[in-house]
Amino acid sequence: MKYKYIIIGGSAGSFQAVTRILESLPKTFTMPIFLALHRLKHVRTGFVEALSIKSKLPIVEPVDKEHIKQGKIYLAPANYHMYIELGNYIALSTEEAVNHSRPSIDLSFYSAAFAFKEKLIGIILSGANKDGASGLKYVADAGGLTIVQNPDECQVRTMTTAAIKTARVDYIYTTDQIIEFLLKLPQ
Amino acid sequence: MIITQDDITLFVEAIKSVSDYDFSEYSIKSFTRRIEKILVDYKTDLPLLTNRIRHDDKFLEQIVKDITVNTTELFRDPKVWQTIKYRILTRLNDQDKISIWHAGCSTGQEVYSMQILLNELGLLEKSDIFATDINVDVLDVARKGEYIYRFNVEYLENFDKVIKQNPFNESEFFEVPYEKYFDIDKSKDTIKVKPFLKQKPTFFKHDLVKDGDIFHIPFDMILCRNVLIYFNYELQNKIFELFYQYLKEEGSLILGIHESILGPKATKYTKKGLYYTKK
Repeated sequence: MKYKYIIIGGSAGSFQAVTRILESLPKTFTMPIFLALHRLKHVRTGFVEALSIKSKLPIVEPVDKEHIKQGKIYLAPANYHMYIELGNYIALSTEEAVNHSRPSIDLSFYSAAFAFKEKLIGIILSGANKDGASGLKYVADAGGLTIVQNPDECQVRTMTTAAIKTARVDYIYTTDQIIEFLLKLPQ
Repeated sequence: MIITQDDITLFVEAIKSVSDYDFSEYSIKSFTRRIEKILVDYKTDLPLLTNRIRHDDKFLEQIVKDITVNTTELFRDPKVWQTIKYRILTRLNDQDKISIWHAGCSTGQEVYSMQILLNELGLLEKSDIFATDINVDVLDVARKGEYIYRFNVEYLENFDKVIKQNPFNESEFFEVPYEKYFDIDKSKDTIKVKPFLKQKPTFFKHDLVKDGDIFHIPFDMILCRNVLIYFNYELQNKIFELFYQYLKEEGSLILGIHESILGPKATKYTKKGLYYTKK
């Protein structure tokens, strides 16, 4: 039972992959999952609801300093950066955008890699900018496992190809393979 | 260069030793991010920065400003402002005076949002409004009430939701032109609040961490939005206690929509959807 946390980053074209992954996970899936997903600036509400429709696990936009619990999915709120802090809780911030993005995938990945080290699985999905590439490198360098969605399957391949170029990537998987992999993880 | 927690501790100690600023209970990740950004912006490293703040007061003041985060919007999160308008201010209608504190007001957009609401409800005259921040530069901007149009134009949509519509009664609609409250000059890319809105609020420097009670009046409402996220859990609890002492009975505390009273002070407040009231 080496891995205990999962962080997923994505942008343009990732919504479908994320919903498919979430709907495939059983209620008994205990590893907390962090989602750092870019979204349209004005779409501030309704995203959790849209993701929740088919998910069997509860999805929340965490409040600042919220404790991380098993079996929960944490979605970075619109217009906030989401950090994982030592001590198993989440912190939010409204600092300026990084890579034109808030939430920034990199910032969430850096902090998760720092907090969870080799217990972390980092996954980068479809997206139109390079956010997440450097974050995934941190996950790899801290001893975590890295997965990138197969660029051939992505609606927009910029994010995944940047991640593959920048980080040591353990697996390049299609959405189906990602799901298969997650379902095989010992809980 | 990778900054360790020990480096940060030394830096915070250095600031403490030469000033009365205390960042020791700031939220560690975002604080570290700020320092990393400062090191890049000033093309320096942490030992050099630490050394300079020890010997250069003006530089220290500048760094304190750089550490603080200043993001604010007109009517940020319209649902919150609709709640203030229809759920909180309506209850204060009959009072002789209404006292409001914007703690950590940054460049003042929410202060003016409140002024506009109060004016629409006919409550502006009897309101006392204080707006504070640790950063004197943003207070200067707030006092001027002049903003870059292209950065604020999208928030006029929020204005429509809060001022023109009533979510609790959809048949109601108020035709309030922007010109009632703003002078907009697109060629100069400016949006200025009307002078009459600038008469009420008193802007001044206040550090939530150390300055304590300087008002000596109890408040009907305290707004502190997306400020406490930069403090750690312990300091947040101290501030919730401070606000408790400053609030009138049943007074309202309005935080950012992703902020919450999680600790022992939760029992002192009643959560009412998007805001808290003092028990």
